[in-house]
Amino acid sequence: MNSRIRAQCIKELLQFRRDRLTLGLAFLLPLLSLLILGFAIRLETKHIPVVVQDLDRSPLSRSYTDRLFATNQFQPSRWQGDDPVEALDRGEARAAVIIPPDFSRRLKAGKTASIQVLVDGTDANNARVIRNSLQATTEFFLRDRGLVDATQPVLARTRLWFNPGRKESLYIVPGVYAVVLWIFPSLLAAIAMVREKEKRTILQVYASGIGAGELLLGKAMAYLLVGGAMALVVMGLGSLIFHVGFAGDPTPLLVGTAAYLASAVSFGLLLGVRSASQNAAVQGVSLIGFLTALLLSGFIYPVSNIPFPLSLVSAVVPARYFILISRDAYVRGTGWPGVALDVLVVMVSAVVLFAAACRSLGPMQLDDGAGR
Amino acid sequence: MRRLRRLRGWALRFLDSRFLALLRKEVQEILRDRQLIKLLLIPPTIQLLVYGFALNPDVRFLPLGVVDHARVSASRELVSALTENRVFLEAARPRSERALAGMVERGALTAGLVIPPEFRRDLAAGRSAEVQVFIDGVDANTAGLANGYIQQILRRFRPEGSLTTARPPPVSAAVTFLYNPGLTSSWFFVPGVMGVVLTLIASLVSAVALVREKDTGTLEQLLMTPASAWEILLAKIVPLFVLLQVDVALALVLGRTVFGLPFRGHLPLFLLLSGLYLFVGIGIGTLLATVCRSQQQVLLTAFFINLPLVQTSGAIAPIESMPAFFQAISLLNPLRHYITIIRGMQLKGVGLEALWPHVLALTLMALALMAFSVSRFRTQLS
Repeated sequence: MNSRIRAQCIKELLQFRRDRLTLGLAFLLPLLSLLILGFAIRLETKHIPVVVQDLDRSPLSRSYTDRLFATNQFQPSRWQGDDPVEALDRGEARAAVIIPPDFSRRLKAGKTASIQVLVDGTDANNARVIRNSLQATTEFFLRDRGLVDATQPVLARTRLWFNPGRKESLYIVPGVYAVVLWIFPSLLAAIAMVREKEKRTILQVYASGIGAGELLLGKAMAYLLVGGAMALVVMGLGSLIFHVGFAGDPTPLLVGTAAYLASAVSFGLLLGVRSASQNAAVQGVSLIGFLTALLLSGFIYPVSNIPFPLSLVSAVVPARYFILISRDAYVRGTGWPGVALDVLVVMVSAVVLFAAACRSLGPMQLDDGAGR
Repeated sequence: MRRLRRLRGWALRFLDSRFLALLRKEVQEILRDRQLIKLLLIPPTIQLLVYGFALNPDVRFLPLGVVDHARVSASRELVSALTENRVFLEAARPRSERALAGMVERGALTAGLVIPPEFRRDLAAGRSAEVQVFIDGVDANTAGLANGYIQQILRRFRPEGSLTTARPPPVSAAVTFLYNPGLTSSWFFVPGVMGVVLTLIASLVSAVALVREKDTGTLEQLLMTPASAWEILLAKIVPLFVLLQVDVALALVLGRTVFGLPFRGHLPLFLLLSGLYLFVGIGIGTLLATVCRSQQQVLLTAFFINLPLVQTSGAIAPIESMPAFFQAISLLNPLRHYITIIRGMQLKGVGLEALWPHVLALTLMALALMAFSVSRFRTQLS
């Protein structure tokens, strides 16, 4: 390695170690994010509070209610008054089931009894889950009581692949790695770059013989090392805490993580070069970083749901491809055949971002050739 | 007459007061600060738009692969029953089960259906025919919904001419979605992000405004004047408060025009409660300013506060789905209460009768934060 690059890298690491705030930013905050995002982001609700207004009060309607609360999906919500909508208004229940007074009479007469179900539609995802499971419960009740013909012409033998228990942490935690390893390395790199400009030390750098590419490469190396340490800590602890182990060949993840960190650091350097002040750089990196890595990457909901103009942005977000690599390593386990292309895309993004940073810094030097 | 004169006296004294002079100085500073105006307008707009459009839990057009070994009308009916409500889209017809399995494994298909050769024979004999379904379980949420839909469709599926004729079920559950009948996902996210944006902006802007005086040393000059700490702080806060209310209005207008979000509550009450929340945000900012020495420190330290605040607020993932520990912690999170208020007023159209516990919590937090940061500010100054 070129000695100027190495010197720059060592200088940067020394500076990094001296600042307690950036050290916290590099290790404490990523861990905090891992814990919060990993534990708190769950999409499907269990123990959904439901109120039942049983106007029939017959053994049949009571057994329907018992069936409803037999699984851990729903739990009865305490509620007084006569309008169940109030419980939904107050947020004390997510759904109200109203059993009509003629429920058992109509059933015994062989007529259709209609149960009214009111679902709080505020959270569209859970509203769908609630509707599906209420309908499934109703069907189960009917079969159980022999009210419908239990034979079903077509049965499905279903296998949920990779995640038979539907553990949501298996989906979320590999995504958290992508979010954390994008935002914090890029933030650190951007701060390091813009600090040089803000404190005017960049003029000394210009005066020295170092070229734009060498300067950036030195800084990039330093933060790549910091990012690597961050990745080790975050992924190591993440696997321990959330019980997420490798499902297959870990080498694509190893290569992918290195490329992804390079991409994040280059992105930070680019923004650092382009921003006038540390404030602007931090604002820019965190706004763009959170929007792209958290929202446009498929971390929470599938990328295929992102509508047209935004889907173009999402297509060039490196986090989107890294999430695929990470989920493959920890859940899917198909290895290189499945994700070789994604690793390549992340590598290309690192090269493009680094080249852009170099181009942005290049013209700022007064006379590029003078120093050599 | 005398009362009028006394009122005029007060008004004159107010116009002449130190407070007003300080206020005028702050307003002029803000108006000169282009950066601040940009900060108040551009990031909130972008965030509201991206959150509203990008986060979409819809389960539609999931790619389904079919291997049909039976090739009879009943099997074709089954496929069309699965795809007709647009939850699934028939995306591939691989030759073999192995090819199908490979596609699900790579994630190219969300679900796979294998109809065995004996499908027709079983149906004709009046036995239950069994099909195989593979679902990619990596995305647990989508997989759960997909599985639910498949089971539901199969329970109702009656091939033409089958022995068991479809009868209307004896119990029908008529499901009505309240507040958001179309299940538009942005109606959930946009109010949440509105709270997030206000928290980020209010805490940052007020912290920066305060720390800048400390940073440049002009705070000492202000302290030399006879103005009290309260007056200095209040003069700083009032114009920011007004500007931040503009952000509240911006969020409401964007929600309405871009996402068709209704506003069903009482608007003046909503603005009042938003004002209350802004005090919480400004209180967090003041607290930050008392801890930090420079703007850079403020910006970085803000991460340590805002990140947990935002992620445990229920803005993105519903609070009820969180583990019990986080649900308990979130009760201390002002943003959680404010988001409940926004969603309650915008979508449900409820008022204080349903929201008073949250309003009470916010009031207590605003008072505590303000009192704490003012006292810290004062001791730091003296």
